[in-house]
Amino acid sequence: MNPKPLNWTRHLLRVSVVVVLMHGLTIWAVPRLIMDRIIDLVTADSSLERANGVTLPPPTDHTQRRIVTPSPDLLYATCFFDLADGPIRVTLSTDYPRYWSIALYASTSDNFSVVNDRNAPSGRVDLTVVAPGHNAATSTLQNDETRVVVSPTRRGMLLMRLLVNDDPAVRSAAEVARRSLRCSR
Amino acid sequence: MSRHARPQRILLLTGVYLLAVIIGVGSAWLWLTRVDISGVDAGAWRVNLLAGSQDADAYTRARIALGAVLALGRSETLYYTTDHDDLGDSLRAGCRYRIEGLPPPARWWSVTAYAADHFLFPNDQKRYSVNGETVTLDEAGRFSATIGPPADESRGDPAWIPTAGRGGMRLTLRLYGASESVQRAPGSLAAPSIRRVGECP
Repeated sequence: MNPKPLNWTRHLLRVSVVVVLMHGLTIWAVPRLIMDRIIDLVTADSSLERANGVTLPPPTDHTQRRIVTPSPDLLYATCFFDLADGPIRVTLSTDYPRYWSIALYASTSDNFSVVNDRNAPSGRVDLTVVAPGHNAATSTLQNDETRVVVSPTRRGMLLMRLLVNDDPAVRSAAEVARRSLRCSR
Repeated sequence: MSRHARPQRILLLTGVYLLAVIIGVGSAWLWLTRVDISGVDAGAWRVNLLAGSQDADAYTRARIALGAVLALGRSETLYYTTDHDDLGDSLRAGCRYRIEGLPPPARWWSVTAYAADHFLFPNDQKRYSVNGETVTLDEAGRFSATIGPPADESRGDPAWIPTAGRGGMRLTLRLYGASESVQRAPGSLAAPSIRRVGECP
């Protein structure tokens, strides 16, 4: 009995669908995998100092190879969140006189919220980050210093940036400022 | 069907579909690593207006994640990047370049040199960038900085970013709190010029 001939038209169509799907899946997955990798690397690095739920990496230099294109002019602080276990609260109280910001990132790598020294001139921040699906109407400024932010994804991270220079006094003030950051339940 | 025809057919189809997967993933990777990111040009520099934004399309999001993950949105920071000089020649870590221009209209700015792998060049002076605090302005209000391999005159010069090796190089111009006019039209920035100085080894 002769084998039934292959239907190459049908397979060509399926192969095209596979190519398009895999192309799209790769593009979709890259930022998510990179964010997962960052979270895993920083979480697993026992050499990094931690305080108040915040990771405090050392000043940026060429030995920092966890995250691409680091800025050598910034001091960082970071914390990660998984809102499956409930909201997280972020607080800060600082009088740091130079630029600083607190940026929130979704697990897709999108930056969905920023607070900085200009839109929080008092230097006090009190954010509650809630899971997607939370009533978006609450994601508004409740007063000058307190607000609720809805994260577009369950997991994500916070990154604080503080502009520094070589002046030891500036470095010291930035260190005090980032140590006033708290991430808690 | 003959006894051997079915396994051969299964093997053939498995190979074809495996090739489809490789082409799908490979084409995406080539796109992300070989095709220039879209954006607005200012001199030799290009700024992507959707970096860090929730409005970014999937390709932009993936490109930014690969080369500049955790970027801030344009209202906070504008990131101008380049991998070539004013003449369009690729930047090379073994060459010396002069960066000149007016200080960008921003609350704070910097130019940072990165190796082709998007990380900082190793140097014992820990000097990786120049900014408004490290450069001096001439009588016309312009700054000048040098990026290239360390030399006798580079030691102690805060306006010299030492490079290492002979691979590729990328520069990032960060504008924190850019002026409203530049935020509205990032292509209007009078971006610093990038000129190669001398011969490359």
